[in-house]
Amino acid sequence: MSAHRVAAITRRLLQQFRRDRRTLALLFVAPIVILGLLGYLIRGSSSAPAVGIANEDQGPLGAMFASALEQSSLISASAIQASDGDAKLKDGSLVGYIVFPSDFSSRAQAGTIAPEVHLEGSQPGTSGPVLQALQQALSSVAAGGPGAGLHFVPQIHYLYGGRGFDTLDYFGAAFIGLVVFFLVFIITIVAFLNERSQGTLERLMATPLRRGEIVLGYMLGFTVLALVQAAEVLVFSLAVLKVHNQGNVVLIFGLEALMALSAVNLGIFLSMFARTEFQAVQFIPLVIVPQVLLSGILFPVSTEPRPLQAVSNVLPLTYAVNGLRDVMIKGADLTWASLQLDAGVVAGFCALVIIAGVLTLRRRIA
Amino acid sequence: MAEAFAVAVEGVRKKFGGLHALDGVTLRVRTGEIYGLLGPNGAGKTTLIRAIVGLVAPDAGEVTVLGRRMPDVDNLRNVGYMTQAAALYPGLSVEENLKFFAAVYGVDEGVDEALRLVELYDRRGSVVATLSGGMRQRCSLACALVHKPKLLLLDEPTVGVDPQLRVQFWEEFRKMAAAGTTIIVSSHVMDEAERCQRLGLIQYGKLLAEGTPNEVRASAGTNNLEEAFLRLAGSGVPS
Repeated sequence: MSAHRVAAITRRLLQQFRRDRRTLALLFVAPIVILGLLGYLIRGSSSAPAVGIANEDQGPLGAMFASALEQSSLISASAIQASDGDAKLKDGSLVGYIVFPSDFSSRAQAGTIAPEVHLEGSQPGTSGPVLQALQQALSSVAAGGPGAGLHFVPQIHYLYGGRGFDTLDYFGAAFIGLVVFFLVFIITIVAFLNERSQGTLERLMATPLRRGEIVLGYMLGFTVLALVQAAEVLVFSLAVLKVHNQGNVVLIFGLEALMALSAVNLGIFLSMFARTEFQAVQFIPLVIVPQVLLSGILFPVSTEPRPLQAVSNVLPLTYAVNGLRDVMIKGADLTWASLQLDAGVVAGFCALVIIAGVLTLRRRIA
Repeated sequence: MAEAFAVAVEGVRKKFGGLHALDGVTLRVRTGEIYGLLGPNGAGKTTLIRAIVGLVAPDAGEVTVLGRRMPDVDNLRNVGYMTQAAALYPGLSVEENLKFFAAVYGVDEGVDEALRLVELYDRRGSVVATLSGGMRQRCSLACALVHKPKLLLLDEPTVGVDPQLRVQFWEEFRKMAAAGTTIIVSSHVMDEAERCQRLGLIQYGKLLAEGTPNEVRASAGTNNLEEAFLRLAGSGVPS
């Protein structure tokens, strides 16, 4: 082994990167962006989950619990009417509400602490703090009062999902769409770049083919592949993984198909900004990762820091994820305003990237 | 008479950044002739061919192909273009590549004929990725003439083709020209230039000289085309 020859390889490699500003930027900027985003997402979390408190207790204990909960930093508690609770869970203004029933104090005297806990249930990450806050309230109330011998038996009700609802049920709904979106995007962008780098695109441009025909042909070809993949993912998720599904399978497939179509056209569009497959792959940390972090797949958009919520609200993936979750977890159908919005945004995005793809193809060739 | 010319290039200029790829080129190619574009690498041959086919929009001047002003997408069904590198789909077989280009040009026939012409009929089932460089070049040529174009643009078609096949290529070109096809072929190989009916010498984006091989030799005052080219090229160096 010759140190000289090894050094030649090492030097050549570093020389190459010196001219490839794009890769250098990716190497040194992308980690800061991604980690910074992640840190801000987790640490900068703006709001504690909003929880409603309905105190119907005829005795004094309910009020003591209510004030203890209001001081809790884990949740942001507010007084509500028990009858309004479910409506507030549905419109998303509360993640849960706690009712202290009229016999709360009297049952406590018999040794049973039994508040009713109503949880929205579709977001496992937000249910935890509610129960934790209640535990804390119990220990602070018990410290000043009767003390030992109490049984804490909260009556938990779920609006969606339920006790058997696990993390996979929550993430599965979103991942069905994400997997298809991600893979189709990669395949399209690489295939379209191949067309460019092997010179066949140049050749196609010298035939009677119109730009729109090329984009449409690509779109149809990849859509066939994408739809088969989407169907496979869906069947595997529902039949093998048994991901919880409350909604219409055709609707889920429709949303998946819209995402696949967007991914195809995003791939065609972004291939204009890459010269090699290597550069195309660099779009993953720049385009895909921030979208995944901000789309609400991992962290609910409502708990993101405010400035990031604004970003999340313009990302199409956010709406796609939300739509899939609404259908699969809450059983939404197209009569729901929220689903109409989600499907509308994804369809709009799809139309936008189709137009962008055709336009940039024309500009790039001329 | 405009009809007599298959291609008319009038004062075409094209700048890429600070580089004058084409610096006022005017030339006319008659119907049914083999016109050779000669020039060193980077002289502007490929840019000129791309301008003729409408892939480059000139900054100034105009290009007319088969009586129609370019760029004109519909007119391209009468044009065959063989790019410098064999631009093919490596994952498809020879026949699949040809059928694809035939379909794109809107013809159903001619695939077998084109395959026989380039002597790839026996290899029609082979996947392009497994072919040698010369075979790919032949396949690429077949793709450019599968729709029997009236104008055939060949950008250095014989690079990587062995001498024997090169002779056959040129025989084919001559037959096609005799049948009325106009052929523009770029090259920097002088013995190919001899086979052209007329030549255009290009350097630094300018047409330095034009004429039959004999006329070019005469204008340079030499009997050797290569020498003629070097003499004429020497006079074209920009100040």
